[in-house]
Amino acid sequence: MSFADQLPIVLSSLNTGFLQTFRLFVITLAGALPLGLLLAMAEMSHLRGLRAIIKTLVWIVRGSPLMIQLLIIFYFPGLVFKTPLWSSGESGRFAAASVAFIINYACYFCEIFRGGIQGIPVGQDEAGLVLGMKPLQIFFRVKLLQVVKAILPPMSNEIITLIKDTSLARIIALQEIIWAGQSFLKGSQGISGAIWPLFFTGIYYLAATGILTLLFSRAEKKLSYFR
Amino acid sequence: MKKIIALLLCLVLLAVSSLALAESESDKAYVTGKGKIVVGITDFEPMDYKNENGEWIGFDADLARAFAAYLGVEIEFQEIDWDNKVLELTGKNIDCVWNGMSLTDEVKAAMSCSKAYMNNAQVIVAPVAKVADYTTVESLSSLVFAVESGSSGESVVRDLGCQANAVQSQAAALMEVASGTSDAAVIDLLMALAMVGEGTGYENLACGFTLQDDQYGVGFRPGSDLAEELNTFLASAAADGTLKKIADTYGLGLALIAD
Repeated sequence: MSFADQLPIVLSSLNTGFLQTFRLFVITLAGALPLGLLLAMAEMSHLRGLRAIIKTLVWIVRGSPLMIQLLIIFYFPGLVFKTPLWSSGESGRFAAASVAFIINYACYFCEIFRGGIQGIPVGQDEAGLVLGMKPLQIFFRVKLLQVVKAILPPMSNEIITLIKDTSLARIIALQEIIWAGQSFLKGSQGISGAIWPLFFTGIYYLAATGILTLLFSRAEKKLSYFR
Repeated sequence: MKKIIALLLCLVLLAVSSLALAESESDKAYVTGKGKIVVGITDFEPMDYKNENGEWIGFDADLARAFAAYLGVEIEFQEIDWDNKVLELTGKNIDCVWNGMSLTDEVKAAMSCSKAYMNNAQVIVAPVAKVADYTTVESLSSLVFAVESGSSGESVVRDLGCQANAVQSQAAALMEVASGTSDAAVIDLLMALAMVGEGTGYENLACGFTLQDDQYGVGFRPGSDLAEELNTFLASAAADGTLKKIADTYGLGLALIAD
């Protein structure tokens, strides 16, 4: 089979794979951003027990490889309870991967949020209180925009890492783009021993991270009006 | 704190009781109960591969369909990572591994296996220009082999006392030879016949002689009664000619184990 014959088959397979990669990326962000903020709030709470629980959770999740977390979340229910928690088929694998990624990234986001919030001088809280504002008002009207500005660079770092980390989900046989590219190595749809599709997946990641980089630099520019 | 401890105890109790419940049920009852058998496969021509419509075909796929019909359940094919097949099986994400699996001692120890249904062999694959030099076991002694980690090809090469690079898959072993990072590979004969030589992705490689015969079987969960059920099915499928018919469709008639 010539390269020209291979190209449409490989591209359609890689597109399907990338769609799965992209879906995982979007769902992880949609889940991990609010969960991370919630965890950050809990970590700064006055309850010592709650703080300790969150700190332990963050330590466990950030301290162990995401690959192991994927394996545990997907295989443990069936291995330990003898009843698989995840539905069979691709959707169950996708759901398990989403849960693993959301928990993992929420813990990283939590620390970024906490750093951003605690980086605001206490004087602003005191000034707000003197003016008769309530703590929630102070957070949303005074501090939040400054926090967003401060955490944008570290967030863009994590988000770019996330799009590449999605490839780890192939360990539980989620058919994302690396899986799709690799399938032609062994043989799939009449193409076997083709090495280039695997390397070609890099183009998709580069395009995605390129777009994200542009979006983030535009966002930073838009938020640069305090200077 | 007391509430948390009580909650944890409840969870443990739940785990133990569901464990006990599940253990008492036979595997056949479990599969017929949910009305579906999930077959763990990889993309592996000519055993399991997709046709133009995206449906799984191949010798194993067709045979598995016939077995599902015999059990009276639906079938679902699930692509798995071959390294995780035992995890997938014991975790109940799949119900069997049915994908041209050589019945090695390791496989037999980890799963309840059916009897062998097809002959396979471990064959040497080398560059076309050199394959004629490798005719005896002695001529192999200085070579560096690429083999799939945990495959029967790997144990064959280790038994020969040759140097082996264990890689992730049989396809990766072929890539090692094609790129020159290993001198030769030892892989499944049925796979080599489909993937090496003219008109394939590896035109510069060729099959040498076979080093060891082995056989394909199907793996179920340890202690499963489905392995025995499949043996009964295979015997009847062999008797009424179904087995031969499927094998001939994929050019595997000669590899079939007759009885």
